[in-house]
Amino acid sequence: MRFILALLLTALGLPAATHYITVAGLGGEADYDQRFTGWANTIDQVLKGSRTGAKSEVLTGAGATRERLRKALEAAIQDCGPNDAFVLMLIGHGTFDGVNYRFNIPGPDITEAELASYLNRLRAGRQLVVVMTSSSGGALERLRKENRVLIVATKSGTEKNATIFARYWAEALRDPSADTDKNEAITALEAFRYASRKTAGFYESQKRLATEHSLLEDTGKGEGVREPVPEEGQGRLAAAFTLLRFGAAQEAAKDPARQKLLAQKEDLESQIDLLKYQKAAMPAGEYSKRLTALLLDLARTQEAIDK
Amino acid sequence: MRLLGRLLGSLLLVAAPLAAQTLDSCRQSYRRGLLAEADRCYQALRASPDPYLRAEANWALDRYREANEAFKQALAAQPGNPDYRDRMGRLYLSHEQTQDAVDLFNEALELKPDHAGALTGLALAAAGGFDAAAIRLAEKALAASPRQIEARVLLATIALEDNNPEKAAEEADKALGVDPQSLEALAIKATIDLLDDKPDSPHLATILKLNPAFGEAYQTAARFFVFNRRYEEAIELYRKALKLNPRLYRARAELGLNLMRLGHDAEARKHLEACYNAGNTYPSVGNPLRLLDSYRNFRYIRRGNYVLKLHEKEADLLEPYVEAELQRAMATLEKKYRTRLDHPVQLELYPDHEDFAVRILGMPGMSALGVTFANVVAMDSPTARRPGEYHWASTLWHELSHVYTLAATRQRMPRWFTEGMAVYEETATSPEWGDRISPQVILAIRDKKLLPVAQLDRGFVHPTYPEQVVVSYFQAGRVCKFIERKWGFDKLLDMTRAFGELKTTPAVIREQLGMTPEEFDKQFLAWVEDETRVTVEGFEGWKKGMQRIRELVNKEQHDDILREAPAVRDLYQDYVEAGNLYQVIADAWLAKGDREAAAAELELYARAGGKDPAVLKLLATLLEEQGRKKEAIQALSRINHIYPLDEELRRRLGGLLLEAGDAQGAVREFRALVAMKPLDQAASFFNLARAYNSAGRQEEAMEQVLLSLEAAPGYRPAQRLLLELSR
Repeated sequence: MRFILALLLTALGLPAATHYITVAGLGGEADYDQRFTGWANTIDQVLKGSRTGAKSEVLTGAGATRERLRKALEAAIQDCGPNDAFVLMLIGHGTFDGVNYRFNIPGPDITEAELASYLNRLRAGRQLVVVMTSSSGGALERLRKENRVLIVATKSGTEKNATIFARYWAEALRDPSADTDKNEAITALEAFRYASRKTAGFYESQKRLATEHSLLEDTGKGEGVREPVPEEGQGRLAAAFTLLRFGAAQEAAKDPARQKLLAQKEDLESQIDLLKYQKAAMPAGEYSKRLTALLLDLARTQEAIDK
Repeated sequence: MRLLGRLLGSLLLVAAPLAAQTLDSCRQSYRRGLLAEADRCYQALRASPDPYLRAEANWALDRYREANEAFKQALAAQPGNPDYRDRMGRLYLSHEQTQDAVDLFNEALELKPDHAGALTGLALAAAGGFDAAAIRLAEKALAASPRQIEARVLLATIALEDNNPEKAAEEADKALGVDPQSLEALAIKATIDLLDDKPDSPHLATILKLNPAFGEAYQTAARFFVFNRRYEEAIELYRKALKLNPRLYRARAELGLNLMRLGHDAEARKHLEACYNAGNTYPSVGNPLRLLDSYRNFRYIRRGNYVLKLHEKEADLLEPYVEAELQRAMATLEKKYRTRLDHPVQLELYPDHEDFAVRILGMPGMSALGVTFANVVAMDSPTARRPGEYHWASTLWHELSHVYTLAATRQRMPRWFTEGMAVYEETATSPEWGDRISPQVILAIRDKKLLPVAQLDRGFVHPTYPEQVVVSYFQAGRVCKFIERKWGFDKLLDMTRAFGELKTTPAVIREQLGMTPEEFDKQFLAWVEDETRVTVEGFEGWKKGMQRIRELVNKEQHDDILREAPAVRDLYQDYVEAGNLYQVIADAWLAKGDREAAAAELELYARAGGKDPAVLKLLATLLEEQGRKKEAIQALSRINHIYPLDEELRRRLGGLLLEAGDAQGAVREFRALVAMKPLDQAASFFNLARAYNSAGRQEEAMEQVLLSLEAAPGYRPAQRLLLELSR
C-alpha cells in the first residue's frame, strides 16, 4: 500500500497541466459513427468541466483525419513540458494485419508506428495512451514505453470485433463510483478497472462470448495485464496518473494555514497504510482496534481541515 | 431415453441362415428370462467368424465399443445389407447418437425403401424428441410389415403419453393379436393398470410368467410414472426392474436421474457411476455426473419447511429476494390450495442454463425455465438469461403452484390442468406477470387451432406444429381463468380433487361443470375469442401500423408518432418486446421534452408486463425527477423480480428506500450490493452503514463504516458518519 501514499503525494503536487486529445475514428456506418462521436464528446465535456485545468481537444467525424491528428500531436509536442501530462484516447475501429496496427480514420489510416513516433517526441513526463478500438492489442508492442501508461481494448490484434470498452471508459469519467479510493480524482488505473469490469459484465449479462479483453501496460516492457496489481509491478504508474479531478482536495492543499493539519493527515494515512500492510500478521481484534483509532483520528483531522 | 427398452424387445431376424439360429437361441434364452444361459450363448457367439453376429453378441453383453467395431466390419463386408445398417442404427440410438442412427436408418431405406425395421428406427428416433412424425413413421413401418410389433408398441406408447389409455390399450391389443406373448405390448397394458392405481395387474403376472427377469416391464411403467410426475413411485418401479435384471443399465441411469431430481444425490451418483463404469458413457449419464460434481459450488440454505440451493457466486445476492418470494408464495398457495406439504420444498437456481437442463433431463439443450419434481423445484437463475428475457419470480410461482396442485392430488393430475393452474397463478399473483399473448397464440386463435379440452395434453406432449406447446400453455391457463371467472376459484379446487381421484378430463368436466366437454369447448372458445377479439382481429392492422410507425421513427417525425402510434399500440397491448410502441411513444415524448408524458407512457409499458430493466430504470428516473419517489421505488422494485444483478439498481433503490424511511428495505438493497463485490467497495459499505444507522442498528453501522474507510480512508461522508457514530 505504500505506493498509495506516493500517489497521494504526487496527486498533491500536480503537474503543471494535462493535455488531452480524444479522437473518434471512422464508424463505417451511421450507428457506429454516432456512438464513437458520442463517447468522444462525452469524454471531452467531462474533461472540460473538471478541475484538472484540462487542455482538451476532440477530433470527430470528418475532422478526425490523419492530418488533423498529426497537427494536434505536434501542438501537444510544442505545448507539453516535462512536468506536464499527456493523454491520447482513440475510439473507433482498428485493424491489424499481423505486423501493423491501423487506427481507422477518414482518409488514410494512421499506424501505431507513426503514432509512436509522435508520442516518443513528447516531453511530457507522464503519458497515458488509451487505444479503445478493435485489434488494439496489436498496437501494444510498439506503443509501450517507460513512463507511459498504455491501455488497449483487446488482448491482441486478432480480436477484431467492434469494441464497447470506450463506452465504459467515458462512463468511468462521469460515475463517482469509479473513484474507488474516494480521493475525488479518477486515476488511469481506476478508470481502467471500471471500464474493464463493465465491459466484461456487458458480455456476461448479454450471454455473449466476450470478444474484447482490455490490457494495461505501464512498465514499458510487459505484455500487458488484465488485472493490474500495482504491488506486483503493473499498474503502479496508472495508479499515480490522475486522469480527472472533481473534488476540493486540491484547493485545500494550496492553503498554507492548513499545512500542519495536512501533514498530520498524511502521517495518519501513512500509518493506516502500514497497518493494512501488517493486517495478515496480527490478531484480528488488535488490527480492528488500531484501525478504528487511526480512522477516527483521520476523520477528526479531516473535519478540522474542512472547517 | 425410452428407446433402449423398445430396442431390447425388438426381435429382428436378420438374414444369416446358419448363424441366425444361434443368435435366435441366445435371444430366446433372454426372452425366457434365462439370463445366465443367454450370456453363455452370446459369449460363444463372440467367437463367430461372422462380424455381424459378433456385433450382436457384444452389444447384448454390454461391450459397446467392440459391438461398434464389429458392426463396421459387417458393413464393410456387406455394404448392401440394410439389416446391418438398421441394427447398427439401433446401437447408436441406444447410445444417444441419434443423428448417426438416423443416417444409418436412411441408408438402409435407400437400399430397401420399405424396410420396416429402419422405418421403426426412424420412428423411435422421432419419438425420442417427441416429434409428431413418429406416428406417421410407425404407421409406415406397419404398412410395410403388419407384423412389426415394435412399431405397434410405439403407437401404444405415444397414445399413453398423450394421456389416452383407451387408444394405448387398443394398439397394445393389436400387437398382442400378432404375438400374444409380446412382452412389450403386455408391459403397456400393465402400465395402464399401474397408472390407474391397480398394482395387481394381471398383465404383469403374465409377463413375469413368460419371463421372470423381464425388468423392462417395470422400466416401461416407471417411465410413464415419471411422465406423469409420479417420481417416487417411478423410483420404486425402477428398483423393481433392476432387481429382476441388474444389467438394465438404461433403467439404472434413469433411476439415477430421477433420484437426482428428488435431491437424493448420493444414491443417484452411485447408480450413474455404475452405468458409466460399465461403458454407458453417453450424455444422459455423463452430464448428470459432471453436474453432481459441480454441486460443491452450491450453497444449501436450510430453513424450516424449505431448502434453497443457490450457486455460491450469487447466493449472497439472491438469497434475500428468492427467500422472500418463496415464503410469500408458499404462504399464499398453502392457504389457497388448503394443502400442507409433508416434505420441505427444495428450490434450486442454476446460473448456467445448460446445468439446469442437465439437472432436468440429463441433457443440455432444453428451453424450459423451470421444472418441478414433487417438492423439488429447479429453475434458471436470473443470471442464466439476458436481462429482460426472464421473470424469475413469475417462474417461481408457476413452479410452486405445481408443487401444491400435485401434492393435493398425490401427483395424479393431467398435464394440461397442472400447467393451466400454474399459468393462472402467475397472473393471479400480479397481472404484470406471466407470459403475454404472443403472435403464435394470436394466429392459433385466429386459425381455430386451439385443441378440445379433452385432447389438450397432446398439445404439450406431441405438438403437431412448432408453436403448439406455447399455445397449449396459453390455452390451459385461459381455461383455468375461464373456469374461475364463471364458477369461482373453489370450482378449480373441486376439479383438482376430482383429478386426484384419477378421473379423466371428460369425466371431471361433466361431473364438476355439469356439461359435456364439447359444450365446455364451445363456451370457452366464445369467451377466449371475445377476450382477445381486439388483438386477434386487429393483428394484421397492427403489423401494418408497426411498419408505418417504424418509418416515422426513422424520419424522427415525433408529432406524427404521437398522433398515430397510440391507436396501433392499443391493437396489441400485450406486445412489450423489442420495438414495442410504448417505448417508441415515450421516446417521442422525450424528444419533445415532455418527460411527464414519457413517464406516463412507460407506466403503461410496466403495467402491460414490460420487463426490460433499462426501460424500467428510465421510468424510475423520470418518476424521480417528478418527485414521485414512491412510484420510482415501485418501478425499480419490479426489476428485482427480473434481473436483480445490477449494481446501479441496488444503489438507486437502496437510496430511495432510505430517503422514504424504509430503513429495512434499504438494508436489504445495500447488503445485496455489498454481496455483489462492486468495484466501489467504499461507497457500498458506507451506504449499508447509513441504512443500518437509520434502522437503529448502530453496531452493524459501525462495522460497515469501518470497512468503508478501510477501503478508502479519506472518504469524507464515511468519516462524518464514523464521527457521528462515535459520539
